[in-house]
Amino acid sequence: MRNVCVIAGGQSIWGVRKATQRDIFQEAGKACFQDNPAVSNKDIDGIIVGSAYTERCSFQTHLAPLVAEYLGIQPKNLCVRVELLCATGSSGIILACAMIKSGQADVVMVVGGEKLYTPQRWEINYSELASVDHDWDSSMGLGLPPPVFAAVAKQHMKLYGTTEEQMAMVSVKNRRNGLNNPKGQFREEINLETAINAKAIVPPMKLYDCCPVTDGAAAVILAAEEKAKYLTDKPLVYIRGTAQASLHNMSANFSNWTTWESLRIAARQAYTKARVTAGDINVAQTHDCFTISEIIEYEDLGFCEKGEGGYFIQEGKSDFGGQVPVNTDGGLLSCGHPFGATGIRQGIEIMRQLRGDAVKQVEGARIGLTHNLSGFIAAHTVLIYGRDLE
Amino acid sequence: MNSALEGKYAVTMDMYPLESSDFNRIHPFYDHLKEGRLTTTRCRDCGKKSFPPRVMCPHCMSENLEWADLPVTGTVLVVTEEEVGVPVGFETPLIHALIDLSGELSLFARIRGCKTGELKEGDQVKLTVFPVDPLPVDGKKGVVILQERVFFAFEKL
Ligand SMILES: [Zn+2]
Repeated sequence: MRNVCVIAGGQSIWGVRKATQRDIFQEAGKACFQDNPAVSNKDIDGIIVGSAYTERCSFQTHLAPLVAEYLGIQPKNLCVRVELLCATGSSGIILACAMIKSGQADVVMVVGGEKLYTPQRWEINYSELASVDHDWDSSMGLGLPPPVFAAVAKQHMKLYGTTEEQMAMVSVKNRRNGLNNPKGQFREEINLETAINAKAIVPPMKLYDCCPVTDGAAAVILAAEEKAKYLTDKPLVYIRGTAQASLHNMSANFSNWTTWESLRIAARQAYTKARVTAGDINVAQTHDCFTISEIIEYEDLGFCEKGEGGYFIQEGKSDFGGQVPVNTDGGLLSCGHPFGATGIRQGIEIMRQLRGDAVKQVEGARIGLTHNLSGFIAAHTVLIYGRDLE
Repeated sequence: MNSALEGKYAVTMDMYPLESSDFNRIHPFYDHLKEGRLTTTRCRDCGKKSFPPRVMCPHCMSENLEWADLPVTGTVLVVTEEEVGVPVGFETPLIHALIDLSGELSLFARIRGCKTGELKEGDQVKLTVFPVDPLPVDGKKGVVILQERVFFAFEKL
């Protein structure tokens, strides 16, 4: 099977945008082609478009040919949309990778995004009720995730002694990392005191413990290795291993709220395929939708022992200069979280880190990881990127 | 100018299930709720219970299912109190709790009739069933029939 490289990536400005969904997709496409002038829209033979809320917020289905048309792409091998809520973008990358590996396509753009703010500002709180099991969890008023993650945090605190201060340290770090990210939603530093004294959303989750609602899009181009050699002058970045796992969907079937078994499975699968271990990862973008998520992810990705996630952030092990810098571009907490775009944004940051041209560079990074959780912590998606194949 | 969008621009969403036999094969669940019973389906072939109720057993693929009662009281394991961002149609603060139904099932359920700080770990809660927005169904000759619906939550004992 063929090797797959990521050869270009770019994103729109993320935030509360005075723009339509299609405006934002165009911005991301432009930024992606601008990143690598050696590849043009004429080289693309497949497109995968990701969006979770296109029908709900923009009344638009059949999105892939629409986005292709706007980007001047006329795909001949693949033209499809994917959706896995918060992991939509990563899912697109996984499928593009498989299509290229198997010879179904040679050069594929994966572009994802959301336009979530509508003229009725209260609407999104209500629309998100469609994100979990509609007939059982939504009818309980779940949907917007803070209650779920507050329940996770309370249990993790009780079991392992994790503190609100340790959670606040995650948001302080990620805000600091996102300070010079020109496309991110928040670019102001916060200190520990501000984070701890912020208004409650669902205690113990406070304002800065939660990622925001975001309009935005992002795009990457993947190519078979032999094509990639001609389509970029930059160092090649390989996709070495990918996996997704899901053990439940509805809340009643979530058996362990503080050890995310499907994340452990996805991580193990991805590490095995990539022939690496957790200790080999030089830089990671993990799904910090809430500060407690990032803490549990340190544990279940194997960066530290179970229950020691709070100490991992406290001791600076996920910061620059530490064991494995996490969310080096600011993560969801700084950049925002347009569902269809998030996994792609993470992939772009890892590509830049491994090429050596990131805004905040981890020196000498050779192996990178991205992770998303989605829905009621119902599915986990892990991708491993590398500068080398072995 | 009159607008079809006035007062309902892009916002209407039915947050409750289609419960009647016209739309749903597990409609007895909702009939049982009206009797104060919380039920689910059990497989007559392999004996396993599933929640939510099914039309097919996910363990052995059998369609030979029967209804079984679940406990209607439980113990609170974790409490959450949502103070910001509560969706339309729900009260603020919106209280949820992870509750243990006598070891048979854990539910992350809405708790009605509680103020902030009122519900604690270890408290007992019981099932409460209440009417929710009726479903407007197209009848003959332009008549709209409102189908009554119920849903459930828990309340402090
Ligand atoms: Zn069975």
